[in-house]
Amino acid sequence: MLPLPELTADERSRYEWQLWVRGFGEEGQRRLKAATVFVSRIGGVGGTVAMQLAAAGVGRLILAHAGDLRLNDLNRQLLMTTDGIGKPRIESAVRRLRELNPYVLVDAIGENVSAANAERLVGSADVVVSAAPLFEERLEMNRQAVRRGVPLVDCAMYELEGRLLTVLPGRTPCLSCLYPEKPPHWKREFPVFGAVASTVGSLAAMEVIKLAAGLGDPPKGRLLNFDLRDLTFTTITVDRRTDCAVCGSR
Amino acid sequence: MRLRVQYTAQLRTVVGRTEEEIEFPEGSNLAELLVHLASELRREAAPFLLTAGGELQPSLLVALNHGAVSSCNARAVLVNAGDVVTLLPPIAGG
Ligand SMILES: [Zn+2]
Repeated sequence: MLPLPELTADERSRYEWQLWVRGFGEEGQRRLKAATVFVSRIGGVGGTVAMQLAAAGVGRLILAHAGDLRLNDLNRQLLMTTDGIGKPRIESAVRRLRELNPYVLVDAIGENVSAANAERLVGSADVVVSAAPLFEERLEMNRQAVRRGVPLVDCAMYELEGRLLTVLPGRTPCLSCLYPEKPPHWKREFPVFGAVASTVGSLAAMEVIKLAAGLGDPPKGRLLNFDLRDLTFTTITVDRRTDCAVCGSR
Repeated sequence: MRLRVQYTAQLRTVVGRTEEEIEFPEGSNLAELLVHLASELRREAAPFLLTAGGELQPSLLVALNHGAVSSCNARAVLVNAGDVVTLLPPIAGG
C-alpha cells in the first residue's frame, strides 16, 4: 500500500470541523485524500453523493452521466444550474464541484454505465456508488463490483421512500441477491422530491466516507428502507443467496 | 389469525394504503399469503406479486418481521399471528 498523502495547512483548515469527529481525525482525512470514488450518475441522488464527497475531501471522483440538462431535472439535480439547460450535465457538475472544492480531482465521463465501460470504471476506484435510474446499470455496477472486489453503495429512491444497500463483495449480500432478475415493473420516470433524493444521497456519501476512512461500521446484510411520509427508518436483514448468479460462488 | 401487511413504493401507490391487518388461516405459508394478496388486491397490484405464469415474482423483496425471505423459500416459511409482512417492490430512482 502507498503511504497516505500529507495534508496541507490549507486542507487542515478546510476540513477542521470534521477532523474533530471521533475516530476520524487527521488519519481519516488522509485516507479520504488517498481515495478514488466512482459515482454512476450525478442526478438527484448521485449529484448529492458527489457534492458531499467533494466537500469532505475525497481525493479523486470519477463521475459518469450522459445527456444534456432539462428544465424538469432542476427540482432535484442540485449540481445543475438553470443556465446549464440544454448543455451536458457533466459539465455543470464538474464546474460546481471545482467551485466547491478545487483540491478534489474530478474525472468526468459523459457516458452512462454499460457493459462496455463498467469494468474499467469500477476497477479504477476504491469504492463505487450506484445511483442510476435503471436496473440494467445498477446490476452491471453490482456485477463488476463483486467481480473486482470493490465495495459498492447502492442508493435508490421512489416518491418519499429511499433505500440504501452496502455491498462488501464476498462478505455481504449483493444487489442480485435481493433482485435476482431485472425487475420488470420499474419505470424510468418516477415521482421525486429533491429533498428525498438528497437524503438518500447524503446517507450514501456517509457510508462511502466511512468505508474510505475506516470509520464506524458498514451495515452488513442490512438494507435501509426509509419513508419520509411518516419519517420511519427501518432496516431489513438480508442474506446472501447461495444460488446468486453474481456472488453465489465467491 | 390476524397479521399485518405493509405496502411500500409503487405497490403502495397502486394499493392506495400503507398497511392493513388481514385475517388468514393458521398454518399457512408466506407463498400462500402472497398468492392470496394477489387475488384480493386491485388488479394492478398482482404483477408486483406474481409473474404472468402465476409464480412468485422473484424481484419482489418480501420481509417477514423485518427479515427478507427470498421467493424460493417462501413456501417453507410459515406465517404466524401478529407477524408483519412488508412488500418492497424494487426501486431505482436516482
Ligand atoms: Zn449476490
